[in-house]
Amino acid sequence: MGYVAVKGGTLAIEESIKRLKYERLKKGDVLDVHGIECGMRCLIDQVMSESSLYSETLAAISIKQAEGSPEEAVFLMRAYRSTLPRKHYSRTVHPDDMLAERRISASFKDIPGGQILGATCDYTHRLIDFELNNETEGDISNWLHNFARDNGINSCATDLANLPKILDYLRREGLLQDCENNDREPDDITRESVKFPTSRSERLQILTRGQTGAVTSLGYAALRGYGALHPTVGELRVGHLPLYVDNPFDGEDEDDAYYIGGIKVTEVETLFPAPVQKENGVKEIEFGIGYGICYGQNETKAIAMSILDHCLETGSPEYPTHNEEFVLLHIDSVEATGFISHLKLPHYVTFQSKLDSVRKSKKSGRGKDMESDGELNP
Amino acid sequence: MVRRKRTEILLKGSREIAKKLAEGIINNYNVKTIEEPDNGLVMVKVRETARKSLFYLGEVLITECKVMLNGHLGIGIVKGQEPEHAYYLAIIDAAYNAALPETEDWTRTLLLEEEKIKQNYETFKNNVLKTKVSFQTMDN
Repeated sequence: MGYVAVKGGTLAIEESIKRLKYERLKKGDVLDVHGIECGMRCLIDQVMSESSLYSETLAAISIKQAEGSPEEAVFLMRAYRSTLPRKHYSRTVHPDDMLAERRISASFKDIPGGQILGATCDYTHRLIDFELNNETEGDISNWLHNFARDNGINSCATDLANLPKILDYLRREGLLQDCENNDREPDDITRESVKFPTSRSERLQILTRGQTGAVTSLGYAALRGYGALHPTVGELRVGHLPLYVDNPFDGEDEDDAYYIGGIKVTEVETLFPAPVQKENGVKEIEFGIGYGICYGQNETKAIAMSILDHCLETGSPEYPTHNEEFVLLHIDSVEATGFISHLKLPHYVTFQSKLDSVRKSKKSGRGKDMESDGELNP
Repeated sequence: MVRRKRTEILLKGSREIAKKLAEGIINNYNVKTIEEPDNGLVMVKVRETARKSLFYLGEVLITECKVMLNGHLGIGIVKGQEPEHAYYLAIIDAAYNAALPETEDWTRTLLLEEEKIKQNYETFKNNVLKTKVSFQTMDN
């Protein structure tokens, strides 16, 4: 059965698009893009991460156009991204160069540099603050003034741009196996279609741009019963990574590079204890590491990514969460929502052929009485 | 001053510095725009820490501009949509590439701005470190 071209919906489609605009505007209030950028930090971070494009302003416009739907906003961002030239590749970013504003460990209480809570919902009461309904610009101006005045002097010598990594500490102590730098150039899933088995660079690139809900759900599944894992967050950081681009005409001299700005990311290293049988027959505990990182502050996604990274590195035929085809082919927002959404587009001809088959089989089974029944036309 | 350091100061500091330095050049030299400020992408390459391998984190929207000054090219690249700033950065870059005498006078301005950036960092640091946990072991 081939596809059949039909026409006649043009006017209806035009009116439908008008109606969509009406739904966005009907309450008569213009949603300010700058306001979205200022007050929807977490949604902007999620949209930038899932669209794999870092721009708070573009994300804010997309969120406005999509009326707050993350899947639609991500679609808009990906579409716009496809129109832009890729002008440069950054110099290799080392996450230990992060200017941290939050850094915690669930594994060690006394970590070098300390536990820095930063901004987090973790310790808030989840009670709706009805006073926000009446918040004014005067209120926030006063609050910000008091917040700035309350800085005080902190004599703590901690350097937020140079916090030691917990993994490095464990490696130095011999508690974690060290490894050499792997300088293999990364594969790029935006340039080459994914083929299985994938490389580590492809897996990490797909995971970091995965849909937040999908990555979280599969990470949760791996914890709850599909892998019997019990990891602990070794280190979680939120902060800004500096970006540099090499001089396009003059080699790779670090001092000759262009600083182009910083990007906010969440980075997680998760530790997976596992018993290992040594040559002398003695069982010892060794730690596997899962790695998660994503644009913006999105800690649940970064932790879930680190769980799935470990699952896919170890692999296991028993569990779908350890199967790279199952995980990697189903977590992309545009691919998943696009495929599900296409089911509501016209399938008149294919569905009609199915109806014809049902009618024929019913007719042959129940005789000619069926002939007088009304039929739904495609 | 090397390009890495001066671009750090010009992007982390006040936008007014780049504007002021570039306008001094525009008023005295013939600056030819080779590429108008335009949006593009930079792909971010990251060294992850679990297995120390490389991968692509994603792309970043940038604005890039190219100008020519006394036969020397200057490039301005900045994260986000900042056409005016990219233009000023390109002029400053061209001025350094052409070794214009003005660039020697700029060092002091840039170092003063670097001091302000350091002061801002101290304020930021003191504020963030107020959320540092001070553990106390509880006795029975």
